[in-house]
Amino acid sequence: MNKFELGIVDTRNIIKMLQDVYDYDFKNYALTFFKRRVENFIRTHNLKNADLFIQRIEKEQEIFESFLEFMSVDKTEMFRDPSVWRLLKDELLGTLIPGATNFKIWFPEVSSGEELYSMAILLKKLNLTQNVRFYASSISELNIEKIKSGLFDPRKIEVNNANYKRIFSEGELSDFYNQENEKAFWDTSLIENTKFIKQNIIFDDYPKGIKLIVFRNQMIYYNQILQERFLKIIHNCLVPGGHLIIGNNEKIDYWNSDKDYITVSKSESIFKKKLS
Amino acid sequence: MYKAVVIGGSAGSFQVITKMLMSLPKNFPIPVLLCLHRLKHVRSGFVEALSIKSGIPIIEPYDKDNIKPGIGYLAPSNYHMYIELNKRIALSTEEPVNHSRPSIDLTFETAAQAYRDKLIGIILSGANRDGAYGLKKVKQLGGTAIVQDPNECQVKTMTEASLKLTSVDHIFTTQQIINFLLNLK
Repeated sequence: MNKFELGIVDTRNIIKMLQDVYDYDFKNYALTFFKRRVENFIRTHNLKNADLFIQRIEKEQEIFESFLEFMSVDKTEMFRDPSVWRLLKDELLGTLIPGATNFKIWFPEVSSGEELYSMAILLKKLNLTQNVRFYASSISELNIEKIKSGLFDPRKIEVNNANYKRIFSEGELSDFYNQENEKAFWDTSLIENTKFIKQNIIFDDYPKGIKLIVFRNQMIYYNQILQERFLKIIHNCLVPGGHLIIGNNEKIDYWNSDKDYITVSKSESIFKKKLS
Repeated sequence: MYKAVVIGGSAGSFQVITKMLMSLPKNFPIPVLLCLHRLKHVRSGFVEALSIKSGIPIIEPYDKDNIKPGIGYLAPSNYHMYIELNKRIALSTEEPVNHSRPSIDLTFETAAQAYRDKLIGIILSGANRDGAYGLKKVKQLGGTAIVQDPNECQVKTMTEASLKLTSVDHIFTTQQIINFLLNLK
């Protein structure tokens, strides 16, 4: 019952190693989260302690890649918070996309891909895919490969279906995936119009002229310093009048939110960048 | 001397919680951290229901909110709620623990690390073992561990699992818990 626990000195050493060896700077991740994630990784990979973790990751790029995959947390389910997706479906997307040329949607950390596939399915159902282009960034190459392959965990089918039914009265979620034995795959033609961007924690390569940013439940893993840096990047990427969607219990207060954004929906955390 | 109280239970402990919150004075000297198992698709309504009779304001915090005395922080549905060492709330969508998100173990464990011997942990009536490990951490790090008297609980799984794992400081009825909290200075 006693779990492995990481001390504060070990945590600092690990952060330093990741910075020195791989140029990934985790020091502005939320500390509780980072510590817990490393502890879980050490446990599931049988690495026993911080020293062994450091030794192995330093030497083996492969383990480092699985660590990055582990650090970009699962967004847990398709159409998480159905009320957000209902609002997108019934009000927002139908007014934003028709008539727009080159409607760029950016997922600054696409992690396990549920948000990308949810959006792709929603647009397909609304018949709005034509002018849309997706940009999906992630710190993890393994995640990007997994998303491209369409693979997802079939144990999630039940909750995914339940969410789908809360949004759409017609059709089935299974119209968009295939299940073979123990495995399930999304229809990857849904995301054929996606540009994947592998990057470090802080972006040097990010898309411009974005009209919608979906960045839900990712800033929660950062401390305020990193949150602020991300919000600055987001502000630069978003066109005037562009929209930003964050998680239900996330906020953009640090950034001059009142000056720069109009709240479109407080309950669903949707904001619109002011025109000037 | 205490700096926070953390309370865990399931939807079945709603009445007990309501009764406790009702008794708290407006100027209750420390924050109340609440982690209750709840339906994940019912996002609204719960915090409002708890607030109606509560003596202190009850909120579902935003990520990185500062934790303040005299406020009740309810873990939002479908998120884990951690306490950061700098006494801020941190939310997470990581995998469920003990089939639960929010998980009582995680809120208790991180609260224990943040408040150490200045923390009171209280486990109420509940239907699974989530919370037992967390309460053990509270006790291990010097905090005060309290379990609701199982004879009073509709569902005893949570309290009995906690008692099995930890030699707690007090086994209290609802009224005794309230008296204990009201005597805090």
